[in-house]
Amino acid sequence: MIDSLRSLLTVFPYAIAAGFLIATVCSLLGVFVILKRVVFIGIALSEAAALGVAAAIMFHIHPVLGATVVTLATVVILAYPFERQRLPRDAVLGIIFVLASSLSVLLVASSGFGLHEVQSLLYGDLILTNRTDLAIILITLLPVLIYLLVFIRPSLYTFLDREAARVMGVRVMIWELLFFFSLGVAVSAASKVAGALLVFCYLVVTPSAALLLSKRLWLVMLSAVLVSVAATMIGMVWSFRSDLPTNQAVAAVACGLFAGVLVLVGIRRLLVRRVPAESIRLAGS
Amino acid sequence: MKMHTLQPKEPMTMAKVMTEQKTVIACENVFVGYGSEVVLQDVSLRITAGSFVLLMGPNGAGKTTLLKAILGLLKPRRGHITTPFHITAPGYVPQQKSIDPLYPVTVRQIVGMGLYPELGPWRRVTGDFRRRVDATLEQFDLLAHDRKTFGELSGGMRQKALIARAFVSGAEIFILDEPTSELDERSEREVVQHLHRLARQQNKTVLLVHHGLGHAVDHGDMVCLVNHGKAVLLEPDENHSMEHVADAARRGIAKGKAS
Repeated sequence: MIDSLRSLLTVFPYAIAAGFLIATVCSLLGVFVILKRVVFIGIALSEAAALGVAAAIMFHIHPVLGATVVTLATVVILAYPFERQRLPRDAVLGIIFVLASSLSVLLVASSGFGLHEVQSLLYGDLILTNRTDLAIILITLLPVLIYLLVFIRPSLYTFLDREAARVMGVRVMIWELLFFFSLGVAVSAASKVAGALLVFCYLVVTPSAALLLSKRLWLVMLSAVLVSVAATMIGMVWSFRSDLPTNQAVAAVACGLFAGVLVLVGIRRLLVRRVPAESIRLAGS
Repeated sequence: MKMHTLQPKEPMTMAKVMTEQKTVIACENVFVGYGSEVVLQDVSLRITAGSFVLLMGPNGAGKTTLLKAILGLLKPRRGHITTPFHITAPGYVPQQKSIDPLYPVTVRQIVGMGLYPELGPWRRVTGDFRRRVDATLEQFDLLAHDRKTFGELSGGMRQKALIARAFVSGAEIFILDEPTSELDERSEREVVQHLHRLARQQNKTVLLVHHGLGHAVDHGDMVCLVNHGKAVLLEPDENHSMEHVADAARRGIAKGKAS
């Protein structure tokens, strides 16, 4: 394991750095995505990013620029209060997902690429991250990370109790929009490198494990990052040693870690329940 | 019984007499609604500093709508509402379902949220602020539960946490939407008595939506009856006690239901 990790660090240093940064930022965003109960937005934005990449290929512009434009446009569309039109937001997200995923494949396929090439163009492979990709990831994700850590108070209050926060003077519209724009930027940049599946995994699977592990927000955020980074490291080593697709290997490890946490929490609950029962027996004897 | 004029019923200190006439909330010909539905029509109210106002009315009459319009959460379609909330935020207690119990935030964090008007997005929580949170938690018997999350609390404790969040702020005006519906009798009496003390001793203004009205009637200055899209202020005078006023309001509600 250590030897494989060393080899990975030597051969794919950019992939490891990008993987850790994407894991950190997306899992932190994911904590709030789950708490706000907008999980589906993650997969819809990932597909919107893929559509942006497809459009970028068509128009010969940089894929990250295309992904960012389409993702942010989607964020703006989602900001519209669809509830007033008696249409649940989930339905709109579903429509965006179907439209983006079908259009992106059609657009790239019409450019003369084969299906396998289409897949690799739209949904990047983490292990193939190069220096330029890492630079783009750093430029886009570091500001998002800083925003998340510095403005945690108004963002949390906005999500926790929107109305009360507004009464207290929190500019809820700004903080909400900033969150979704950050999510859009992070998803669009990360999807090109790590693929839609892995980004969605970081947004949902690892933060879910973290929410099971702790009841303190800071600990949840820290656990989400640690579980994501651990899944990335183990998954990359596994894919390197067994010649497996990296994104899927990392996602599978993340799901395995989630299952492990689920078992751990179950055992802890059983033990907590058993302790009082034993105490009662002892007291009665 | 007088209508539309506001005079708190108890004798007051000189300082209070000097400030009591100051109008803190004024609604002038206000129309509010959702979508195509108009909930409140042509509402005109003036509430002075130090008043303890009970909002009464049947379910769906528009009590919460009126509070939200006063708080600036709903924009009036017509008319004008004047409040000092752009300068000092009010202490607001929403109905308890406002917080999702899934959030991993402790009772201490929820109460600390009330300090946002002073702390803003940046300022560090220093010892003084922590002591204020401690004192408020203690006042509501929440100190022993301060590390529990909102989801781990009973309905009554959740309400106490939301009330504590409003009280820690040291606001001048308190707006409470059915804050005691899940509290036991003792806790309810304590909350109402505390609101009464705030109004009497510190000249704070209180607007309280309260269905039970038992303890609240003993301490309120006037009733704001919300019914049939209208809101009217009723206050006691030398011939009519607060209980008479509340009875009249209840009769008004019952008559409205029957008709």
